[in-house]
Amino acid sequence: MSVIEYDVIIIGAGVAGLTAGAWLCGQGLKVALVTTGEPTACLSTGCVDLCSQDDDPLKGIANLPDAHPFHLVSPETIHQALDDFQQAMTDMDMPYTGRLEKNRRVLSAIGTFKTTCLTPLTMQASPQNENERIHIITFAGLKDFYPGYIISRLKSASFSTYNAGVSTTMGIAANFEDDDFLETFLLWLEKQDIREDKIAVPAVLGLESAAAIIKKIEYRLERPVFEIPTIPPSMPGRRLFNGLKDHFRRKGGMIYWGWPVVGVEKAGKQIEAVMAESQGRPNSLNARAFILATGSFVGGGLHAKRDTIIEEVFHLPVFVPGEREVWFDQDYFSAKHGIGQAGIVVDSSFRPRDCPWDNIFVCGAILAHTEALKNGCGHGFAIATGQAAAKYCLEHIR
Amino acid sequence: MIKTDVIIIGGGATGCGIARDLALRGIPHCLIEKGDYAAGATGACHGLLHSGGRYAVSDPIAAKECYDENMILRRIGEKCVEPTGGLFVRLPGDSKIFRERFLRSCDDIGIPTEVLSSTRALELVPNLNPDIEEAIKVPDCSIDPFRLCMLNMRTSELKGGLSFMRHKVTEIVQSHGRCIGVKATDAATGEVKEIHGNIIVNASGAWTNLIARLAGCDVPITLSKGSLVITNHRLTDMVINRLRPSSDGDIIVPNEAVCLAGTTSLVVEDPDKIAIQPAEVDTIIGEAGRMIPHFNDTRIIRAFSGVRPLLKSQKLDSREISRGFQIIDHQNGMYSIVGGKLTTFRLMAEKMVDTIMNAFNLKRACETAERPLDGQEELSGYPLSKRLADMKNIVCECELVTRKDVERTIEQTGTRHIGDIQHRTRLGMGPCQGGFCTFRALGIMHDMNILTAEQSVQSLREFLQRRFRGIRYALWGDQLREEQLVEYIYLGILGMEKNK
Repeated sequence: MSVIEYDVIIIGAGVAGLTAGAWLCGQGLKVALVTTGEPTACLSTGCVDLCSQDDDPLKGIANLPDAHPFHLVSPETIHQALDDFQQAMTDMDMPYTGRLEKNRRVLSAIGTFKTTCLTPLTMQASPQNENERIHIITFAGLKDFYPGYIISRLKSASFSTYNAGVSTTMGIAANFEDDDFLETFLLWLEKQDIREDKIAVPAVLGLESAAAIIKKIEYRLERPVFEIPTIPPSMPGRRLFNGLKDHFRRKGGMIYWGWPVVGVEKAGKQIEAVMAESQGRPNSLNARAFILATGSFVGGGLHAKRDTIIEEVFHLPVFVPGEREVWFDQDYFSAKHGIGQAGIVVDSSFRPRDCPWDNIFVCGAILAHTEALKNGCGHGFAIATGQAAAKYCLEHIR
Repeated sequence: MIKTDVIIIGGGATGCGIARDLALRGIPHCLIEKGDYAAGATGACHGLLHSGGRYAVSDPIAAKECYDENMILRRIGEKCVEPTGGLFVRLPGDSKIFRERFLRSCDDIGIPTEVLSSTRALELVPNLNPDIEEAIKVPDCSIDPFRLCMLNMRTSELKGGLSFMRHKVTEIVQSHGRCIGVKATDAATGEVKEIHGNIIVNASGAWTNLIARLAGCDVPITLSKGSLVITNHRLTDMVINRLRPSSDGDIIVPNEAVCLAGTTSLVVEDPDKIAIQPAEVDTIIGEAGRMIPHFNDTRIIRAFSGVRPLLKSQKLDSREISRGFQIIDHQNGMYSIVGGKLTTFRLMAEKMVDTIMNAFNLKRACETAERPLDGQEELSGYPLSKRLADMKNIVCECELVTRKDVERTIEQTGTRHIGDIQHRTRLGMGPCQGGFCTFRALGIMHDMNILTAEQSVQSLREFLQRRFRGIRYALWGDQLREEQLVEYIYLGILGMEKNK
């Protein structure tokens, strides 16, 4: 069995874990991250939702229910964390736009407007109301994008279909990385005689170079071009993950990929190590502190049994929102599903409550009372709590 | 106004069976259904073609009918019946006296049985509880109730029968105390059709009294709700029954790629208000888990319930009420046909049409037991190898349904309803329960100009609400995890709002 020593081990490679990791690396600590695989960020729109309950996200946060974990993060930390995030993504050539003082809107693949705070540069030109005149480009055979849904709400929109030779999101995105492909596409696009003010494209404009590709199309077509986020597999989500992952590595962080945590070693009030498996072999990852950022149910941090909800890495106590009967409301669209409250309750320093160990810190979607969908507390919440938990973790170590 | 001879109300197995029988005996008819085919108890059951074993002890007459009909349906409907065979398993503690009565009753009725040791039974169904004492083999089958209804209607269609789907009967037209027709409202357009006929057959199952009362009649039935759960894979290739008097959760039926287990039995008042209790789901899983232990950790993809229209009796437990059927002559040109079960639908139809022929003073014998169901040649199946070759156009990954399948179904049926596509292709019937593919199928329908963009979005919203009603009772484990992802896609990524 191999034994590896670190200052901090983070479990979970999502936005929260990578943010905490990069920040701790920046403080000169030796940090490793263990993950079972790709995070849910890869399934996301890539947009950074902070709080969608108010036009001003910070005001929205202030008005969240008392139990909401966002109240544990100071406004200064929120600002700092989001600034750091924008800087990191700019460094990775995937810049984000937007301001903390005002939410903006992003056109969805069924023509609704999603409220978010920061967006990838590729969505900067997304219309802010139904009256903007857009022309949609779609791709032959792309099975997760139907312009009709958008036109049902944006009556003046029209569309044309391009045959890219391939029909999967990833396949088309990979093709856009090729200059010849892009040039052929541009020549076709120029012939379309598009009258509308803006051009919309499903989010398939390249794997990593989307920002540069958009600029090139805008230059040639002489009008704004923007991406519409699609259902998974989602390129903007994948770009966000790749950006944060590479940023973390660039700062000196280590990632153990595909290493499920199967046990912990403890002594007194301390967790001393997590046991992670790789190819059937156990490895002991020792550290002075641990950050749990395994996400909610989809991420795999929480697991629902028929009568309760459990957390399986440290077996921390989980806030269970009542009997199974009330986990879900009758009305699908009510946003009142009790299950959104499930998670780990933490104290003011992001340590789990009623937990016998004092060197565990928790951040991101696994936190109780987040209600991510209802409150629109998405990646922005993960970034803010990730940095906040990392700060308390550093305090603990020093 | 439309004129015909016989008006059939209800597109369940009974109504569709009557339409086929009338067609084969040359009687013009019109079937009216307020939803889709098999939308009531027909579609909300195990899909078990009983051998009769289940009723052998308690109701030998019904058991004999089941056995005979089982033999007929195997013959005439090979494309919708899977001759799986069935086992009645005896667990430790289950009554030996019941076992003796069961074997004797089956013998008396003529249902062939074979007693198997637990070792032999486990060879046939390796997932069985290894602690079973023994198993008794019977000729149970699984049957696809949606396909069954559509194949019956095919004959009606070929012989010029009329049918109106999604038309709700709102009035029985009467003249001098006789029922002479119905008024039915098209759910999509609100248009009211008036259809006149000489005889009206009320085959509306759980809704029998709602229809009968339109003509001032009353039918003595009890409504018994039964709930079932569906697993995400096929845990057994044979029907598994518990060898004991009928009780909750004592039948597991394999059907295509999944298994259905149930049921429960609770008397209800309103056939449109049949919420499932979490306790029912737990009971079914617990009981099914005693026969197949793996059931306890298998993903449950959906729970649903149906309402059995049972003949009223004084007995309090609805399980004790006869599963036999009855034709009620309201003496005003309307007949109600109630009770019975999916397995005996053809026999019920035969008796009903015999009654109609009598009333018309016509003589032509029933042919439904001899002639294979029409339209089965079109259901040649779709081999996996071919489906995989077409993989790039797969719309529903769970059930391997291609864009072509969806387009073909729309072209053949002219349907504007996602439910029709689901029943005909199995789109959305797999583990994600349409979470991914319905968005695509509705997008394709818009591409084909079948739906306007607004209708696609509206259908999607209605589908999600309907889907959720079925799955919310069985959400834990991986199924809950998948559901949270689907919720994130529609409410998060796509930002679907409630009412717009």
